[in-house]
Amino acid sequence: MTAFILRRLGFVVLVLVAVSMLVFTITALLPANVAYLILGSFAPPDQVKALELKLGLTDPIWQQYARWAAGFLSGDLGESPLMKRPIAPMLWEAVSRSLMLTGFSFVLIALIGVGLGMLAALRHGRALDHGISIATYIGIAVPEFFWSIVVIIVFASWLGWLPASGYEPMSAGFWVWLTHLIAPTITLVFGHLAHVSRLTRSSMIEVMQSPYVNAARAKGLPERVVVFHHALRNALLPTITVLALDFGRLMGGIVVVETVFAYPGLGRLVVFSIQNRDLPTLQAAILVVAAMYALANLVADLLYAWLNPKIRFGGHVS
Amino acid sequence: MPLQLKAGLVITGVIVLLSLLAPWIAPHPWDTISMRTRFLAPNATYWLGTDEYGRDVLSRLLMGGRLSLAMGASATFVSLAIGVPMGLAAGYFRGWVDEGLMRLADVMMAIPPIMLGLLVLAVTPPALWKTAVAVGFVYIPPIARLTRSVTLSLAGEDFIQAARARAESSSYILFREILPNAWPPLIVEASLRVTYAILLGSALSFLGLGAQPPSSDWGLMIAEARSFLDRAPWLALAPGLAMCLLVIGINLIGDGARERLDPRLKARVGKVS
Amino acid sequence: MIRVEDLTIRYRTPGGEIEALTSVSFSIARGSTLALVGESGSGKSTVALAAMGILPGEARIASGKILFDGEDLMALSAEARREIRGSRMGLVFQDPFSVLNPSLKIGEQVGEGLVHKRGYTPKQALVRAIELLDEVGIRQPEVVAEAYPHQLSGGMRQRALIAGALASEPELLILDEPTTALDVTIEAQILELLETLRARRNLTMLFISHNLGVVRRIADEAAVLYAGEIVERGPTVALLSNPTHPYSKGLLAAIPRIGERKTRLASIPGRLPDLRTPPQGCRFASRCPFAQPQCAASQTLMESGARAVRCGRADALVGVPWPHLDDGAGVSEPVRRTTAEPVVMVENLTKTFTIGHAPWAFEGWRPTRKPICISPVNGISLEIAAGEALGLVGESGSGKTTLGRTILRLIELESGTIRIAGEDVSHLPQSALEPMRRAAQIVFQNPDSSLNPRKTIGDLLARPLVRFGLAPAAEVPARVKALLDLVRLPAHYQDRYAHQMSGGEKQRVGIALALATEPRFIVCDEPVSALDVSVQAAIINLLADLKDRLGVAYLFISHDISVVAHLCDRIAVMRHGEMVEIGPVDEIIERPKHAYTRKLVAAVPRVDGVSGGHPA
Repeated sequence: MTAFILRRLGFVVLVLVAVSMLVFTITALLPANVAYLILGSFAPPDQVKALELKLGLTDPIWQQYARWAAGFLSGDLGESPLMKRPIAPMLWEAVSRSLMLTGFSFVLIALIGVGLGMLAALRHGRALDHGISIATYIGIAVPEFFWSIVVIIVFASWLGWLPASGYEPMSAGFWVWLTHLIAPTITLVFGHLAHVSRLTRSSMIEVMQSPYVNAARAKGLPERVVVFHHALRNALLPTITVLALDFGRLMGGIVVVETVFAYPGLGRLVVFSIQNRDLPTLQAAILVVAAMYALANLVADLLYAWLNPKIRFGGHVS
Repeated sequence: MPLQLKAGLVITGVIVLLSLLAPWIAPHPWDTISMRTRFLAPNATYWLGTDEYGRDVLSRLLMGGRLSLAMGASATFVSLAIGVPMGLAAGYFRGWVDEGLMRLADVMMAIPPIMLGLLVLAVTPPALWKTAVAVGFVYIPPIARLTRSVTLSLAGEDFIQAARARAESSSYILFREILPNAWPPLIVEASLRVTYAILLGSALSFLGLGAQPPSSDWGLMIAEARSFLDRAPWLALAPGLAMCLLVIGINLIGDGARERLDPRLKARVGKVS
Repeated sequence: MIRVEDLTIRYRTPGGEIEALTSVSFSIARGSTLALVGESGSGKSTVALAAMGILPGEARIASGKILFDGEDLMALSAEARREIRGSRMGLVFQDPFSVLNPSLKIGEQVGEGLVHKRGYTPKQALVRAIELLDEVGIRQPEVVAEAYPHQLSGGMRQRALIAGALASEPELLILDEPTTALDVTIEAQILELLETLRARRNLTMLFISHNLGVVRRIADEAAVLYAGEIVERGPTVALLSNPTHPYSKGLLAAIPRIGERKTRLASIPGRLPDLRTPPQGCRFASRCPFAQPQCAASQTLMESGARAVRCGRADALVGVPWPHLDDGAGVSEPVRRTTAEPVVMVENLTKTFTIGHAPWAFEGWRPTRKPICISPVNGISLEIAAGEALGLVGESGSGKTTLGRTILRLIELESGTIRIAGEDVSHLPQSALEPMRRAAQIVFQNPDSSLNPRKTIGDLLARPLVRFGLAPAAEVPARVKALLDLVRLPAHYQDRYAHQMSGGEKQRVGIALALATEPRFIVCDEPVSALDVSVQAAIINLLADLKDRLGVAYLFISHDISVVAHLCDRIAVMRHGEMVEIGPVDEIIERPKHAYTRKLVAAVPRVDGVSGGHPA
């Protein structure tokens, strides 16, 4: 098991290195030139030349990458040429706000999604199952940006219960803080619930048809024991992997949702830095997203291994 | 034919047909600006109302459907064209080919699709065909992975050993023995990928990195309608509902087809009598 | 103890409702064992599920009663049935690999019935589970109780399942093909265990099996099921030694028996009737050589003494043997090609797989990881003469299949030499193997897997002809027809796809495919193991016939010694990748030298009851 954890950790590091190279290479192709960005579009060419030399933009790309990576590892993410301030504090603030949003949503998605999926599976072929299935079809079909508009129309415009956009820190009062979180959270939950519940349903149905569940019934065990003790644990194994993937999808979802709700998190930072060709900020932000996603997958892998005795305990006995 | 599949084919068929015929059946010009007919609610002349420039929403919706569908289809084509050969090679040759291709897929999958799409689009000025390519690029890894796992299981079948025992070449085995058997699950997957591609593409358009005004796909139509939610909610609802209907239709086709292909799902859960 | 009366069960399927069981009646006295015998599709497993009350949702009980100790089970509430299930009656399933929950420990799975039905605490249940594991002959029961299913071998899992079924001291034990997934030596051990338990606990058993040898050994009474009906019932020994119903006669005649060689087996033509619309009269009539017009009338199960038979002509057929039908198994003179050199010569062949790595360790100052290897083929040498059939027997994991595929270079060898038709092919690159590929072919176990489902039979058979340029394009269709004729399939089958044929027909195509290149040597990898006895006989006859007519040599791989002994000239016995013994059939069967061979031969359950079969 230790070897398994170490191997997975090593793999996460490798993926991050590769992602950082990919991100750096793609952004290096961006037509925007950092020097122009700093000096303005109409700067005289000799000034631009001088600044490019100073910033090392004329060096080979691998040297630029090495410098950037070294800085990243030492916690120095450089300075945003656009906003003229260090990237690190700005980024961490955005990350913490986005984590609040995704954390809330993730917990709700996991609980409600698994619950609905199980309920549908246990009522397979009955009215409740069909109802849930139709709801999840709609859930899958509606894109986040449309959900967000529906949520704004319903909760902000018609009912007037929630603010349509923005963010207030907790210092402005707990209620104010919470009400600004609710609308984007609802949007994210609506957008991602369906996947989890559909997968839980099909995996639970498959397990309920498996020979060992049939065998448990042949032992005359109460249905409650058959479902919760024999079936659930095995049915949740694939769901765990999908939940991790879904965390990654949530990190993608915040791009749209934060933009619509003007929520100052990581997603908005990414869109903002792309629209304004702010390369250093973009590189750092995407790398952080990839790192969070990789960690989520790592946690899922470990949880999966821990719940699955075939990985936790290898080999034969006697 | 399962009910699901039938319903899906009807819904999708109607939308595709209407979109394809858009230039001929659109009741009004889609791009004529008219200040006198701004923000009209749905009525007998303008069935779905008009937008902030007085353009007919229904006509724009039909034209936008062409763009959204073309985007979804061409993006899926890109991911199939690259992902399927990748997966075939990885699954059949195993070893370092497999290792290399799948680690590449892992790296691509480590960035959420929409961010990867944004990153790719950030490099060049936005245009719809670029969005399609970017979306197709983003969905290569899942296609490659699925093809690989299908290939792996098919490669274990005895008819592949029989082909090897006839001294068949690798390309014969890959394209004449494995691929014809891999199509059914791939087609199901591809149909679901079309919906993902449409959704992701429209999200990118929504963020301004897809279709460019004045032509607009459904994502951009929703984005443009955002400012007028209070005054004219139909502007956002029409393209939103159209997209839902299309995605539901395609999903129904995919699931219906999957159910036909996978007899295991046909069996119903045993119930204790 | 249990009495089933007039039980009829129907299943809803996408193609319409089928009748799985038609008015089945039987009873088992306390302490005795009834065997339900039948081939696939006979409905025998449905009886087990119905008795336990765990039929799947698409099944419907159309009529009938199941009385358990005088109590009508159908009249009970679901809750009351659940109470009986797993406390007074227990069920042991066929496949020990999938009926144990992969994420629960063995001890818990054995003892959980006690917790939920007898009010044991989990700790008490575990103690009892360990005792039960000990009782079913598991060594180190404390260790096994803490293990997960994937850590146990098949035989151990089956023992654990039996322990679990015994936990609540059931009076009736239903066993659904409990030894089918196991090797013969393990099967013998499990049967012995069941006999011991039965005597010790005065168990009543309903034993479901397709294997007449096993039935002979374990059951007091037997009932033969065909297409959902019981066609014959009686004391096991009497029924098996003197069958009355034509189907029972055919079934018994189709079984290859050790010691009876060189004759063709009897086979049963045709296939099961369509159970969506079962025939009004005798369901076996369309396959029965004794059928007469009166058989179209409905048949009843007529009792006479301890026996009962569902055949109007039973009295006329007493003592009449199953006729030798001409299924193409003509008795032609063997064509032996006299060549100086054997077709296949294998010397010192070894293949090793790396299955993992040991933990890091220091070797001197250098950190190293030793690979963990297994050698499914370890220093094997053998020769096969032209037109000779060499049988290769061994239990699962002994390396039989790997050896067969390594000889054909479908798996790369590690060391040793392979000569086929005089040519050393062991180190040629794959691209230079074309002549060898023509000369040496393979027939697989499972025709569902060996025939590409997306090609018609005609296309499949044409491909090797085209690939090796064996016939000009214009002649290919005629050659395809000739191949179909060779395996006794009608020419119009060339337009079919694999899924449109029965198992036996598919295997015929598999054989035709191997014959297409006119090979001198064919590896037959368990070619009849996936087939029912009646179909198996026809395929064995076909293979014997082709060998004699075409002079092709076989390496015939099988776990079933009776089949190998019937068909082959010599037998090689493998165990853990090594060949323990090789010799002429009679030598191996009657005077085995190696202890393992003796054990293997003795373990084979025999229909004629020559040997009780206790492992040495």
